[in-house]
Amino acid sequence: VEEKQALELFLLTGTEEAFCALFEVLYAKVRRYFLLRGLDRMTAEELGQNVMFIVYRRAGEVREKDLFYGWLFKVARNELSRHWRQHRPQGELVAFEPLSAELAARLTTEIEAARNSQFYEWMTYLEPAERELIMLRFIEELSYEELAVTFAIPLGTVKWRLFNAKKKLAQIICASSANYVTKPTSEL
Amino acid sequence: MMHGISDQEWSDYFDQQLEPGECDRIEAHLIGCLTCWEFYERMAQTTERLRAGGAEMRHRFPLRDEQLHAGLRGVFARIREAEASRTLPHRNSIQERLDFLEAIMAPMCGSRTAAKALHAAAKGSPAQSLAQVTPDNWTPFLTSLTSIATVMCGETGAHLVWESGQLR
Repeated sequence: VEEKQALELFLLTGTEEAFCALFEVLYAKVRRYFLLRGLDRMTAEELGQNVMFIVYRRAGEVREKDLFYGWLFKVARNELSRHWRQHRPQGELVAFEPLSAELAARLTTEIEAARNSQFYEWMTYLEPAERELIMLRFIEELSYEELAVTFAIPLGTVKWRLFNAKKKLAQIICASSANYVTKPTSEL
Repeated sequence: MMHGISDQEWSDYFDQQLEPGECDRIEAHLIGCLTCWEFYERMAQTTERLRAGGAEMRHRFPLRDEQLHAGLRGVFARIREAEASRTLPHRNSIQERLDFLEAIMAPMCGSRTAAKALHAAAKGSPAQSLAQVTPDNWTPFLTSLTSIATVMCGETGAHLVWESGQLR
């Protein structure tokens, strides 16, 4: 409720005060989005601030307020694409240079914590597009409609892709699950 | 399509968006078909575990207060920078307008006097100095300059200054 109120207040007033309240709610999500895509903490925070700056300036232009989160993650995806476009060649050069212990630690901390999780392991079995969809659906809890906005694809395509990704994951998840339930005759 | 049930129908069934009649048909089939029942179980279990996994991932990246505040400062720095770059073109256009007014007044009262008149007008207006003249305080500045121009260049000259100085 607090999150919804903060969003509504900012969309209504557009004041700096309302933005501060909204920032508290959104920044963690946006930062997490970038961290989960393998960026180091400093870069994730830098890009997260870029996204929040766009929210401040352009959130009023969002036509369907109910789909705000779809728009938010669309902005985040665009920001990530822009980052990769700008930094890919530099990344290859940096790889030849020795990393300081401090930098190496900064590059590994938070994402390493996520890599130990089962969810993260499941994601490695998916294609990048499927992974993106599943992560936004189950980590950020975006609705089908919001996902359609984020990926700029029809609603039916969102459902179809999610269903297929889940089918793929079902084979992995259930194969690793020891307590797989077989058909209970009494219930059906 | 598996046993007469399409992926679309399965997807809608899991989302509880299927028409009641279609829903009954699938459930009647599930009672007698072990393959489909196992598929249903696997998918339901997968969805449940993804939900739980997603919830766990949400807590894996805690944001400390200082990180939150640093982020907010970063965004406001971007906002201020954008605002400053937006006012810069204004400043440039103001400078052009000041140069233009000085050029108009110079043939009537001499270039040095014209420059001094501009400074005096700014000093006698809310801007206080030429550097502080902005679109917001332009009108009082121009009024002050027109008054000075009336004395130095006459009514016609002052009218020319007033008209030329209008920001449109």
